[in-house]
Amino acid sequence: MIQILSGIQNTSAALDAEQTRLDVIAQNIANVNTTHGVDGKPYQRQVVVFETSLQQAMNGDGSAQMPAIQGTHVEKDSSPPIHIYEPGNPDADANGLVAMPNINMQDEMADLISASRTFEANLAVVKNARSMAMETLAIGKH
Amino acid sequence: MIEALFNQPNYLAANKALDAVVLREGAIANNIANLETPGYKRIDLAPSFETELERATASRDPQQIAALQPALAVDTTAVSSSRDGNTVHLENELMQMNQNAMTHALETQLISGMLSRMQMAITGKD
Repeated sequence: MIQILSGIQNTSAALDAEQTRLDVIAQNIANVNTTHGVDGKPYQRQVVVFETSLQQAMNGDGSAQMPAIQGTHVEKDSSPPIHIYEPGNPDADANGLVAMPNINMQDEMADLISASRTFEANLAVVKNARSMAMETLAIGKH
Repeated sequence: MIEALFNQPNYLAANKALDAVVLREGAIANNIANLETPGYKRIDLAPSFETELERATASRDPQQIAALQPALAVDTTAVSSSRDGNTVHLENELMQMNQNAMTHALETQLISGMLSRMQMAITGKD
C-alpha cells in the first residue's frame, strides 16, 4: 500500500502504550485507599511493562535495526503494603495496623506527567508527518 | 528523450535530499516512540550520506547522484543520560523533528520551483 505518512507505525503503537499507562495510573490513584479488594487483600499497585521487539530496518538492508514497541502488559507491583495504625478500621489486624495499598502518590503523579508528555510528543510527530505529507502532495502546484 | 528533462544534477540532488528527509522523519518518529524503551539507542540518517551527496553533486554526474541511497544507522555519538541506557532526549528529538520539517518545506518548494520553471520553458507562459 502507498505510504503517505511514513514512519509513524511505531508512533501509533507508542500512543497506544502511553494510553494504557495513563489508564493504569488512573486506576492506581483511584484505588489509593482500597484496603479490601475482591480477594480481601489491599489493592496492589499495577505497573505497565513495555515490550519491544527488534524490527527489520526501514531501509531493508538491515544496517540499522529498530526496536519497535510491540505491546504492553500490566503486572502487579509486588512490594509489600504500607501499614498504618488505625485500630477503628474494620480491616485492622490484632495490632490495630491496617494494610494500605503500596501506592506512593508522588510516584504516580510523576508517572502521570511523564506519560502525558510522551503522549504529546508522539502526537506532535503525527502532526508533523501530516504537514510534511501535505507539502509533498503540493509539489508541482502553484 | 524526455528523461533528459529530469536528469539535471540539481533536480536529482534535490530529489535525493527529499528522500533523505523523509527517511529521517521516520527515524525521529521511531526515536520518540521509543522514548521509554530501556536500552534503546537512537537512530538517525547515516552521517556518510551528507558527504556522499556533496561529492556526487560536485561531480555533476547524474548517474552518480541517482545511485545514492540514504540509509539509517544507530547514532553512536548520542550519550545516555539515564540509567537504563536509552539515548533519546525528547527536547533534542523535537528540535531535530522541527528542523527536519523546515528542510522538507525547503526541498518541496525547491522541487516545485524547478518543475514550474521547466513548465514555463516548455509552454512559454507561467
